[in-house]
Amino acid sequence: MDNIIEIKGLTKYYGSLFWKKKKPSLYDLNLTIPDGAIFGFLGPNGAGKTTTIKILMNLIKQSSGEALILGCPPDNVEVKRLIGFLPDAPAFSPYLSATEFLNICAKLFGIPSDIRKTRIAEVLETVRMTRHAKSKLGGFSRGMTQRIGIAQAILNNPRLLILDEPLVGLDPHGRQELKDIILDQKARGTSVFFCSHILSDAEKICDRIGILCESRLLCSGRLDELLSETGSKLHVNPGHDDIAKDMLSAATETIKRPDGGWELSFSNKTEITQTLLAVKEKHGDAVAITSSRESLEDFFFRKIENATKPS
Amino acid sequence: MKTINEVMAIASGAWQLLRMRVVYVLILCVLVLIGTAYRYDVLSLGQHKALMVDVSLMLNTLAAILVAISVTFEISRELREGVASTLLSKPLGRTHYLIGKLVGISIAGIVVTGLITAGFCVIFSSAFDDAGIGQTMLMGHLLIMASVIPMSALAVMFSVLVPESIAAIATVIVIWFAHSTPAVDKIAVLYGGILPDLNLFNLKAEAAYNIASISWVYLALALLWGIIYSVFATSLASLVFSFRDLK
Repeated sequence: MDNIIEIKGLTKYYGSLFWKKKKPSLYDLNLTIPDGAIFGFLGPNGAGKTTTIKILMNLIKQSSGEALILGCPPDNVEVKRLIGFLPDAPAFSPYLSATEFLNICAKLFGIPSDIRKTRIAEVLETVRMTRHAKSKLGGFSRGMTQRIGIAQAILNNPRLLILDEPLVGLDPHGRQELKDIILDQKARGTSVFFCSHILSDAEKICDRIGILCESRLLCSGRLDELLSETGSKLHVNPGHDDIAKDMLSAATETIKRPDGGWELSFSNKTEITQTLLAVKEKHGDAVAITSSRESLEDFFFRKIENATKPS
Repeated sequence: MKTINEVMAIASGAWQLLRMRVVYVLILCVLVLIGTAYRYDVLSLGQHKALMVDVSLMLNTLAAILVAISVTFEISRELREGVASTLLSKPLGRTHYLIGKLVGISIAGIVVTGLITAGFCVIFSSAFDDAGIGQTMLMGHLLIMASVIPMSALAVMFSVLVPESIAAIATVIVIWFAHSTPAVDKIAVLYGGILPDLNLFNLKAEAAYNIASISWVYLALALLWGIIYSVFATSLASLVFSFRDLK
């Protein structure tokens, strides 16, 4: 299978009164996600990210359009054996312990009883919740609940992992652990589709992104293709201040590093590129040139600003 | 087999009710109230034996209603908080979810009413050495245990059909009407059709005075009727639930 998710013209209107014009929560979404990708679905609040995920998980019905998940329509119950899902605000029965809840999930996934206990212990260890295995879910904090949510999502060794705001509620350590889990899942061949507001984390782990704003998809594609080169950077080694000083006037940003070296940023003009190449030729290993790329945050805000600018 | 496992997995979450201490406190209170009927021999003009049977059947019915309506709160809470969404993101059909809840709460209800029945038998036998547990008496309690099934189906149906704030109230009102209310028992379509005929499960007078012998066939037919009504109510709930957007 080439594409793990295929969405064509997906539109969702929530019910409204007859005399009021309906506003779409999602409008004509077309999206294709290839197998094996980590796809970050980004956008401001109310853009339609959660609506898309809920349609994919058959929790809500689309008003029009078509969605295929692992080649099947979302209402196919059997395909869910291959999917792990973490909702945006995971909630579980407060009377159950973590192990009991995961046991119910394992039964629903059809995990054989002989390996169920081992698998539950494994996922609890993965999310660092082994010592809370017997505690009631009702007493868990937001972060602990999020960890159990992640545990139930990876319980079935899914082929596709769908995570709605997985980093919310986690402390910095927890966020790092979750990023490691996502990368580990990718290494096992799992495709990951997740929404997040935390752009720095999304930039680190995603290989593809899509940006949704006001119910419409603004762009999607490979992250390295979407983020354009914005200029060049000259790295000057410590002890070569004279080289840095010569270039200071042309630099758009200058950073003196703690080790005594310099980092000078230049806008991407042909003449400065020529100058930098000449400096490199003259000073050899004392300097290094790299291209600087737009950050995902800058790209995101640029796209959103353009989309929301009054015409 | 897979379907049964899915239904039982959801049912196992629903019968967590039996772990709550308050349930056993309730059962204890019911048994104490049944026991106190023995002291009413003067006030009841010597009819305290019949009074104890009547009180036991009435309190057992109330316990069954309480257990049944608890599922309206549980399903509504699960839908509101997103617990149902988490479960339905697994390989579980919406109908199976509702059947699982029905099976779970029915089992919980049968256990609670069963414990009250057992407690009543012990109290009655100890209080009246000369009188054994009559078949009609026992049948009355068994029918109340069976009535948990259609009452739970009603509760499941209302928790899906009407808003959360009125689901429990609607269930209680319908159960009250369905217990042989003269106002509706002449309307055949409504009573015993749309509304369940819960009077089929009511043997209070017969049991208290031991005036009729009720056969096991009657019990089986009443149980069958309860199951058929539950299938109808759950199918209706499932149809509506399949179109519903979940949180």
